[in-house]
Amino acid sequence: MTKVNRYTYLLTLLGSLVSILSFGVTALAQDDGARAYWSARSGSQMFSFQYLPMNIGASDSKEFAPGQYIYPNANIDVNVFFVTWARHMNLFRRPSMLAVNIVGGSVNANVNIKAAPEFLPPGITPGTAFSQSSSGFADPNIQLAVNLFGTPMLNSNVDLLNYEPTITLDAAVMLMFPLGEYKKDKLINMGLNRLIGRVGFPFKWHFGVFSPGYMSSFELMPSVWLFAENSDFVGKKLENDPLWSLEGHLTHDFAPGLFASFDMLYQSGFQTSVDGVEVGDKLEIGNLGITLNYNVSDNVMIRTEYSSNVFGSDNLETSVGRLQFIYHWSTPDVNFKKLMGGN
Amino acid sequence: MRNKPLSILLAAYLVAGITICFTGTEVAAQENKRPNILLIVADDMGYSDLGCYGGEIRTPVLDKLAQQGVRYTDFYVSPTCSVTRSMLLSGTDNHVAGLGNMVELTSPNQVGKPGYEGVLNERVASVAELLSDNGYHTYMVGKWHLGMKPDQIPHARGFERDFSTLVGGGSHFDNGWNISWQIPKMPYTEDGRPVKKLPKDFYSSKNYTDKTIQFIDEGRGDGKPFFAYMAFTAPHGPLQVPNDWLRRYKNRYDEGWDGIRHKRLARMKELGIVDKDANTADRLFFLPRSSGFTPAVRVMLGRSMEIYAAMVEYMDDQIGRVFDHLKEIGEYDNTVVIFISDNGAEGNNLRGMVAGQVGTFGFLHAMNNFAEDGHNSLGRKGTFAEYGPAWAQVGMTPFRLYKGLVAEGGIRSPLIVSGPGVKGAGELNKKAILHVMDIAPTILELAGIEHPATYKGREIAPMQGKSWVGMLNGSTQSPRSSDDWLGWELFGNRAIRQGDWKISWHYEPFGSWDWQLFNLAEDLGEQYDLSNEFPKKRAELISLWDEYVKTNGVIIGSRSPFEQANRHLPNSVTEYDNYPPLRGLEALPYETLLELMAGKKKGGQ
Repeated sequence: MTKVNRYTYLLTLLGSLVSILSFGVTALAQDDGARAYWSARSGSQMFSFQYLPMNIGASDSKEFAPGQYIYPNANIDVNVFFVTWARHMNLFRRPSMLAVNIVGGSVNANVNIKAAPEFLPPGITPGTAFSQSSSGFADPNIQLAVNLFGTPMLNSNVDLLNYEPTITLDAAVMLMFPLGEYKKDKLINMGLNRLIGRVGFPFKWHFGVFSPGYMSSFELMPSVWLFAENSDFVGKKLENDPLWSLEGHLTHDFAPGLFASFDMLYQSGFQTSVDGVEVGDKLEIGNLGITLNYNVSDNVMIRTEYSSNVFGSDNLETSVGRLQFIYHWSTPDVNFKKLMGGN
Repeated sequence: MRNKPLSILLAAYLVAGITICFTGTEVAAQENKRPNILLIVADDMGYSDLGCYGGEIRTPVLDKLAQQGVRYTDFYVSPTCSVTRSMLLSGTDNHVAGLGNMVELTSPNQVGKPGYEGVLNERVASVAELLSDNGYHTYMVGKWHLGMKPDQIPHARGFERDFSTLVGGGSHFDNGWNISWQIPKMPYTEDGRPVKKLPKDFYSSKNYTDKTIQFIDEGRGDGKPFFAYMAFTAPHGPLQVPNDWLRRYKNRYDEGWDGIRHKRLARMKELGIVDKDANTADRLFFLPRSSGFTPAVRVMLGRSMEIYAAMVEYMDDQIGRVFDHLKEIGEYDNTVVIFISDNGAEGNNLRGMVAGQVGTFGFLHAMNNFAEDGHNSLGRKGTFAEYGPAWAQVGMTPFRLYKGLVAEGGIRSPLIVSGPGVKGAGELNKKAILHVMDIAPTILELAGIEHPATYKGREIAPMQGKSWVGMLNGSTQSPRSSDDWLGWELFGNRAIRQGDWKISWHYEPFGSWDWQLFNLAEDLGEQYDLSNEFPKKRAELISLWDEYVKTNGVIIGSRSPFEQANRHLPNSVTEYDNYPPLRGLEALPYETLLELMAGKKKGGQ
């Protein structure tokens, strides 16, 4: 690790935490979810509301000079919501999905700090608990996923009836725009003040019978997050290396409309640099979780998820819950009138 | 030295003479060698399903068998399976052999009456018993359905080796659930002993074939010929096929039953199965035209037919395994192969009959065993798919109706015979009127066995069937003359055929609760009742019916699964003299109603 002065170290540590925190609102310790890339009939749409209570803790302490300690002992509570609209369509004659996410909520961070005053940002007293919060909208994002292999265009009921996928591969590109709440003199912000992108390749293996009540799948989403620099991070320039991510789900129907998933998330990378100087260790975190989904009706689904990390750098501990309501709609299914009325 | 050429010449003559002598003995021995008999029965398979009968289902093995042998167009069976099997194995009428009615549906007035035992009774000797006693190995695999007590099972009725299910149908896989809740698991026997557990990879057609090959191999050592009875349970419902065969016909039937039936009919005409100007049956009166459905509905309705077709092809494939094995061991050329189906294609709602109403044992049995549903699940081992009357009518192209009924669609079956002594390879015989009762006497004649008057100390009924041997060797075109006739009765529906003429009596709305007269030469589809035009012919055939009843001890059941068909099916015609069908019946005394149902009175008023 490149040696840096203590002030910079403190800033970067806090900054990393905040970045993790802010990033985590939409990504860290938070996956896309089970069956997020399942295909649906072209033209069908989905509206979703998610509420995520999240807790991130970092219990590590750092001594970087005799008697000089940083006690991050960070405890960060996040309460955010996601509002998502998605539409399935055909793009280049391939089944595709466009999704727009609006994110908002609040973040509260408590960090114990013991350090010489000259090394601390304005307003933070050494040896006391540093507390900061932010609320408002976070950075919205837009994502496009296009099937590369394994899924035909699903334009009609006939296509749906004949759809029995086995192995599918998609390409997904997401862009997160720096439109969220951001104050340059705060460490804690909802927005990240930089453009973030992700490229991923959702892979699914459907095994068993592709029929409601009997479906099973193994899903992997390898992806890489790419970060533009934040040139106004408490007066400094914040840069991060790409974050490599692998998300996995093993899902199974227990009844029509009732499925559970065993979830896994591994992320590595995200080496932080402040003003061009590499600080801290790269991030490495692994999460396990479970998801339960119940279809209340043909159009309404309720989904709950809980995940927690099983390992994490800097003794990072995450605990994420999710409660999601999904309403989806499409053109009407076959009804009696159509049945008797011909094409 | 001078004698040397003479010695050589003498020696040469001697060698030649010995060779000729031995060769002659060998030929004589081969000529005297009795043929193996391989009797293959499909379960509920339709008349027009095989490629060689006009079907689009891939059946290369049976098509090739038809090229080597002869196909017959007018081969008759009974409307249901166990009834046919009783005649197949006994050579006599089902009302004599113990299956006057299916055991599951015996009427109160038939219980305990001779011929209604519900099992292959002691009034007959099975062809297997006679063959076994006369030097044949006798093997059976598949569906028995002719009795479950120890003295009624295949091993007790002449089959030295067997791997059989004793009941009428159930899962084709190792989970082995029976259709009926009363015996939740299908009882299987192997060599007369109960099979406790089916192998994990069990699938009916595959394992029956494995066993057939095993039995043939294990019995080869002594040089005795064999009689192997392969009673496949395919394609009887539930329609199931191994997973890797499930999508073999994906989307093949999306065009709907009308289009497929039309194409089959065209192919049947090309093949000569049906005359080009034949009057064929209309789409059944209670079935919608398939073109009226949305494409998605046609896809859904076609799925069960896809599975059915895969089952038929799978069975064909397995039959091919047996043929290949016989060729490998050098027995194919000495094996007479007979292939039939046991009745018309299944158009009834078997699952509905089985599952009963919500809350019944049948319903619970269904929920426990075959409640898996969903378009993509159909055909797997937890499902009970059926294809219904519309596809059944496709299976029975060009005929009317299907299994359970005595219209041609219930009682015609494909028949292919091939092997030593069968002349006319590749020919189609449209002259002979044949019956499943004929098979036992044919087999016995091929084996050189006389049917005895007594068996094991008891008198047995004579065989009513007629041997085909003369027909097979080309000396006659048919075992029957124009005066010969055939009769049927099951569930109260009844029919007589003599020459081109046929009378039939069906419960409404399949019939008119009265005799109807058809001329099959002009009206293969039984569309025009000629009773009014030919009353004398009708009366003649009715008198044959009376003779049939008398000869065979027929008792018309006081109950019939078809007696209330007119309550859940629309009328076959919009207007007739008894309309509405129940008018006046509600007020009738019960005894009168019974008489009506027994055909002793003309009903409706």
